[in-house]
Amino acid sequence: METVIQTTALTKQYHGKNVVTELDLSVPQGSIYGFLGPNGAGKSTTMKMILGLVWPTSGSVAVLGKTVNQKNRLDILKNTGSLIESPAYYGHLSGRENLSLICSLKQVPERQIDEMLQIVRLKDAANKKAGQYSLGMKQRLGLAAALLGHPKVLLLDEPTNGLDPEGIQEMRELICSLPKRYGMTVLVSSHLLSEIDLMATHVGIINRGSLIFQDELSVLHEHSRPRMRLVTTDNGEALRILKQAGLPAAAEQKSIYLNTGKPEVILRAGRLLYAADIGLLRLEEEQKSLEDIFLSLVGRSV
Amino acid sequence: MKRQHCAAVEFRKERHLKIYLVPLAFLILLFFWCAFSFRNADAYDLAQGYTYLLFQIPMLNCILMPVMLAVIASRLCDMEIKGGTLKLLYTVQSKHGFYDWKYLHSFFYLLLFSIGEGLAIPFCGKIFGFTEALPAALLLRHVGILLLVGAVVLTVQHFLSLMSANQIIPLLVGLMGSFLGLFSMYFPPAAARLVLWGYFGAFLPFGMDWDKDTRILSFYQVPFPTTIFVLFLVFGILLYLFCRAVFLKKEV
Repeated sequence: METVIQTTALTKQYHGKNVVTELDLSVPQGSIYGFLGPNGAGKSTTMKMILGLVWPTSGSVAVLGKTVNQKNRLDILKNTGSLIESPAYYGHLSGRENLSLICSLKQVPERQIDEMLQIVRLKDAANKKAGQYSLGMKQRLGLAAALLGHPKVLLLDEPTNGLDPEGIQEMRELICSLPKRYGMTVLVSSHLLSEIDLMATHVGIINRGSLIFQDELSVLHEHSRPRMRLVTTDNGEALRILKQAGLPAAAEQKSIYLNTGKPEVILRAGRLLYAADIGLLRLEEEQKSLEDIFLSLVGRSV
Repeated sequence: MKRQHCAAVEFRKERHLKIYLVPLAFLILLFFWCAFSFRNADAYDLAQGYTYLLFQIPMLNCILMPVMLAVIASRLCDMEIKGGTLKLLYTVQSKHGFYDWKYLHSFFYLLLFSIGEGLAIPFCGKIFGFTEALPAALLLRHVGILLLVGAVVLTVQHFLSLMSANQIIPLLVGLMGSFLGLFSMYFPPAAARLVLWGYFGAFLPFGMDWDKDTRILSFYQVPFPTTIFVLFLVFGILLYLFCRAVFLKKEV
């Protein structure tokens, strides 16, 4: 699969302190890439560096196969749409006038305005001043502006911030529809795992400026496969027997864990312990939630 | 983006704001001041009407222009700051392009005001019946100086308005400039040259004599201070480049 956004050892320092460290982000074409991390992890800074709004201290960014520099930045960004931190709008202009202005700036035909207003469900409020919009409406206006020109890549920084539950669901559905509808690749950041879980095909987890996980979402889900916790009358001997038999066993605190949920393996372990006259006091299935995996990856609460 | 396109975009941004009312209001104020000054003018006053205006209006500009330019720059820049539009604009327009076109847009209103002032002077002459011949060359020089000094003051206001999250700071600087500009006329010449806002009155084409005994006001022509003009021009260009460089370093 072709890579649409690729960062290489991307680093940003402020006052000698790394905000983003050696980040190697790889966003495949046609994916919805969930960029996940706690507040202050460096998500917005990374996205700004991809857009050339902030220049990296070191490292490089390539968008659509071209390394971004001062000279070609605007040419490359013609194929991108973005909504960074908060929506950009002119409060004294109506929603339609705002989009018309963006059309001028992006040099795209104004006939797209109605389509975008329809997509973000702002048609009824199109002639209302943007300054009078609710936060959710502003956010949708920002998304409409980002979608103008049908860019190949869309960067959305916490797009559901400030939206009510209904708005969040609408936004999510809209984002999910973009790759199929327009063939877009979406990089969407969030600090909420549940949100990314419902939208993304790929996920990158950033913490304290470093990328600590990056793969398909299904791979992250695999981390949540069940395992069996065993407590026996002699854990040491039980572990030795299970390992000797080639079973995926490991000791953790005062328990033994069988890192599988396959019935045949569990059955075999039980038989081995019975044969060695080791009493089984407890046998429990444990399943890590994505939240647990995320917390264990970032090592702190989000 | 093409040049005419950049200019058109700036005009579209300011739709509904009616920025033109700002220079228009200041022009009306200026006209009323002229009307007030010539309300009891006698034949002697009318015989040196243009000379009087070309001497007095630059001083009035010292008071009016800093405030007017602060208001224009603030109105035009605040929409970008309030709307957080820079993050969006910089993905479709270069930073320096944005800074320059925004400045030129403010400059357009300065140009309108300067032309308006240039037209208001002969208009006053007609209305009040000046008997003095219109000194066209001095009038052109007056408009040129107004544009130049205005452009340098606008450089400061434009920069401050784009750098400040709260427009009260540039507006206060404009107000302070207005006072400083006025008071600088009472400073010793060397000290007065240190006050940017006072330069509206630094290139006066005339000096003034006031005879206490006869109570007669007379004017005499003064040579153009070419060195100061050139130094000021160079200073203005360097100031613009410096302000622009600082702004370009600012990340959004």
